[in-house]
Amino acid sequence: MSVNTIKKKLNKQDIGHFLMNNAIIIVLFALMLVIIALEPSFVSLKNFTNILAQASTRTIFALGVGTIIVAKGTDLSLGRQVGLAAVISASLLQAPNYAYKMYPDLPILPVIVPILLVMLITGLFSGINGLVVAKFKVDPFIATLGMMVIVYGVTSIYYDRPPYGAQPIGGLDPRFANVAQGSIKLGGITIPFLVIYAVIAVTIMWFLWNKTRFGKNLFAVGGNSEAAAVSGVNVGRMLIMVYILAGLFYGLGGSLEAARIGSATNNTGNGYELDAIAACIVGGLSFSGGIGSIAGIVTGVLIFQVIAYGLAFVGVNAYIQYIIKGLIIIIAVAIDNRKYIKRK
Amino acid sequence: MKKFTAILLMLVMVLSLAACSSSTNSDSTTTKGDEKPIIGVTIYKYDDNFMSFVRRAIENFATDKASLEMNDSQNSQATQNDQVDTMISKGAKSLAINLVDPQAAATIVEKAKAADLPVVFFNKEPDASVLASYDKAWYVGTTSSESGVIQGEVIVNAWKAHPEWDRNGDGVMSYVLLKGEPGHPDAEARTKYAVDTIVAAGIQVQELELQTGMWDSAKAKELMDAWISKHGDAIEMVIANNDGMALGAIQSLNAAGYFEGDKFMPVVGVDAIPDALEQIKAGKMVGTVLNDAKNQGKATFELAYNVAMGKDPLDGTEWTLDDSKAVRVPYVAVTIDNIAFAEEAYK
Repeated sequence: MSVNTIKKKLNKQDIGHFLMNNAIIIVLFALMLVIIALEPSFVSLKNFTNILAQASTRTIFALGVGTIIVAKGTDLSLGRQVGLAAVISASLLQAPNYAYKMYPDLPILPVIVPILLVMLITGLFSGINGLVVAKFKVDPFIATLGMMVIVYGVTSIYYDRPPYGAQPIGGLDPRFANVAQGSIKLGGITIPFLVIYAVIAVTIMWFLWNKTRFGKNLFAVGGNSEAAAVSGVNVGRMLIMVYILAGLFYGLGGSLEAARIGSATNNTGNGYELDAIAACIVGGLSFSGGIGSIAGIVTGVLIFQVIAYGLAFVGVNAYIQYIIKGLIIIIAVAIDNRKYIKRK
Repeated sequence: MKKFTAILLMLVMVLSLAACSSSTNSDSTTTKGDEKPIIGVTIYKYDDNFMSFVRRAIENFATDKASLEMNDSQNSQATQNDQVDTMISKGAKSLAINLVDPQAAATIVEKAKAADLPVVFFNKEPDASVLASYDKAWYVGTTSSESGVIQGEVIVNAWKAHPEWDRNGDGVMSYVLLKGEPGHPDAEARTKYAVDTIVAAGIQVQELELQTGMWDSAKAKELMDAWISKHGDAIEMVIANNDGMALGAIQSLNAAGYFEGDKFMPVVGVDAIPDALEQIKAGKMVGTVLNDAKNQGKATFELAYNVAMGKDPLDGTEWTLDDSKAVRVPYVAVTIDNIAFAEEAYK
């Protein structure tokens, strides 16, 4: 075999690798081209910032559950925890002159107080998830399935109370609404606050994953927990910390979600766990644990947001959007599995 | 250690069960009286915001007159069927049923017939043939097309009063429509009749966009984001099948700089939920349609109470029955002019 043919072979392999490793980004660009072909006005700064703003809270949720997935877990209670966070933060941050307040006599709170409070609450619920998974060896799917139902019950009890019963909690304090709906202008470009929070959340999580002992242990535990335990990692404590961290992100994201929508009900967040998990998997995380990157998670979220926004922009039937979304999940995981099999 | 945690877990479970059962006990004791008839009520799901007001109205009107056996059917017809069996065995004198699945009315009627109990369906309409099949079955609700017609009338009146809303001056109302869940009778009827009413009033219309927001504020907001970016000021009217979606659209419009200075966009919804009333007062929403929870609850209770006492269902009430043995509580248009009336409905 001459040197040349070897080089050629390598090149071919490289291209194949490149295509497979970036298949999902290629799919994203292909979809965008189709959308632009159908509706050329899709290319606009406004659409770009809209998509980023809509993806912001979803990114925060996906970062939370993504960390759990890397630790070889999953979290079905995400959506309901988001709902709990949204309902509690909205109820504590209604405009002082709003006629249908849940707490008519509540003093005006600094916006940060209820947000920290709900982060504490979701951190606690999530910590229980971690405890059940780590100490009682309950499968994460089952443990968080149970927690999903429990949290929905808790949220509904909190939500459906006198004097106004099961009413959407609206009339949010403008200070609170502005936290999510406001924006700053930077040289002609309007940047929504939400995007800034998402960037901060991404940065923090990237740092935790890549630059800390926590990150090293996370991948060790997710990849092979026995080996990690042998090399001195406290696997149980690690798992609990992972779930608590995710809970903090749900609490933050849930508060922002309430402020973004402008109201909250006990069904806020319903089904978000599946969107977030799908985004993580499409972004290259594996249920086998120990594999994934922050960039992947962000890409996964953006893919779904571009599809949802783009298809609505073009005016595609909502049912067809479901089918496209489903196909992308399956195709992405099929590709991901091929990578995994090859590595073995 | 393991034994200890196992025992601890069991204790927690037992305690939580005890806590739950004691609370249901206290519920039933507060609603049980001596001479008062028992009326069995099911609500299709407690956390539906509209039904929570109907439920409260029923409870208020029942005070001192009857003891209610209230059930949350949790959006499951199977659960509701079991609850009906339980209420019958508990000695209910009449049933007031808010069906989960309107197609399941025949099953409930069979159960009521077997126990020779009168039954009043409310809010979710059974098939007319089912009502006709049992002489002790009635219905309290609305005419679903009416909410669309009244929403159309709100739009027509406001549009004619504000010629400046026709921004491009072409004499055509260019609208976007946020539809509820496709296939849902209310979504279909409201979409059709709202637009039909506008056209019938001699206003030309152009549909810029029509998509389902699934009754959901968040989805509606995201659709509206895309539409504003696509059409901008070419949109002259936002029609939403419910207030939740109208409020989502308003959030999006707010962010796009509407409702500041003279930048305005008319938004119209249906339901008259409290938040929507506040937006009407703030001048960010043109109008909505009140689905009169108080009077639906009142009519439901009065019919169920009368038949429980063996009287004529309409005895001493303001209601009338139509051909299909149904009381139709009217919808009411709500704008800034009669906002106080709508607010009264929540007091």
